[in-house]
Amino acid sequence: MKWRRWNVALHRDVGYTVAALTVVYAVSGVAVNHTADWNPNYRVTREERHFTPIAVGERDPMVAELVKVLDLPGPPKEAFRSRPEVVELFYDGWSVRADATEGVATVERPRDRPVLRDFNFLHLNHPKGAWTFVADLYAAALVFMAGSGVLIARGRRSLTRRGKWWVMAGIAVPAAFVVVLRYL
Amino acid sequence: MRSMIGFCTVLCLAGPSLAAGGQTFGKVSDAKAVKLSELVAKPADYLGKTVKVEGLITDVCSKRGCWIRLGGDKEFQTITFKVEDGVISFPMSVKGKRCEAEGVFTKVDLTQEEALARAKHEAEESKRPFDPKSVTGPTAVYLLKGVGAVVR
Repeated sequence: MKWRRWNVALHRDVGYTVAALTVVYAVSGVAVNHTADWNPNYRVTREERHFTPIAVGERDPMVAELVKVLDLPGPPKEAFRSRPEVVELFYDGWSVRADATEGVATVERPRDRPVLRDFNFLHLNHPKGAWTFVADLYAAALVFMAGSGVLIARGRRSLTRRGKWWVMAGIAVPAAFVVVLRYL
Repeated sequence: MRSMIGFCTVLCLAGPSLAAGGQTFGKVSDAKAVKLSELVAKPADYLGKTVKVEGLITDVCSKRGCWIRLGGDKEFQTITFKVEDGVISFPMSVKGKRCEAEGVFTKVDLTQEEALARAKHEAEESKRPFDPKSVTGPTAVYLLKGVGAVVR
């Protein structure tokens, strides 16, 4: 039948078109599913440094002293104290948090996870605006892929014969989670 | 090919909101900023109202970018600017930059257990040692529930 030829052709070409974005959404999906266990966007390195405790007084002299004792590359762009003894120094892209009385400082340097941060940026729709339109189009294309996909096979493997069991299995898994976790 | 390049250009231009004066997240009005010290001194005057606060970003939610902490005009005063997950997401690169954040000034009363859990969670998230003795009883936390922010 003519519609089947169209269905296969469209499934194939739409499939080529959405292949890249499907990888983006799938990889990012796994990454953000495990946010509780790791940071999907950044690799944050924290280096602990020890120094001889310094006197707690006015902020600026403390900052100057910390720059010296921690061998930091010059004065920070910004500094702040959340507590009298805790000084935070901010440089371009990294920061230092020093406890003057404990003599402990943590140098924190976040770095983007290459590629993955870009994938998450798109998947979580951080660009907003026109990207929302692209993401909606992609979602519509996936619905089309699902619909056209189940209609490709004929005969013994068609939707109405063996295919229906696979489709039902695909529905059963998420449905079981919803029923058990929401309604029981 | 030419039309595809044009389409991609339009998409890119419509993307992140990079105003000349900084990077904008969400919507920010032209309202005058209130000093954080003023909010801290007279919280009752501002509760439930939308206010804009200017400050230094001293910390960022590293996993979801769903909050930033602002240091105010005076030392030892900070406020958390919380946004809805997924609506606004702050990159870690904003840490140490100046920001104007606008949101609804909100008070959250925490029991001792809740305050303890919150302090523990924050310590774990920023990989800092957690001292349970730092929480001595029930506490009230003031938040700005975020509408938008401009980072410069």
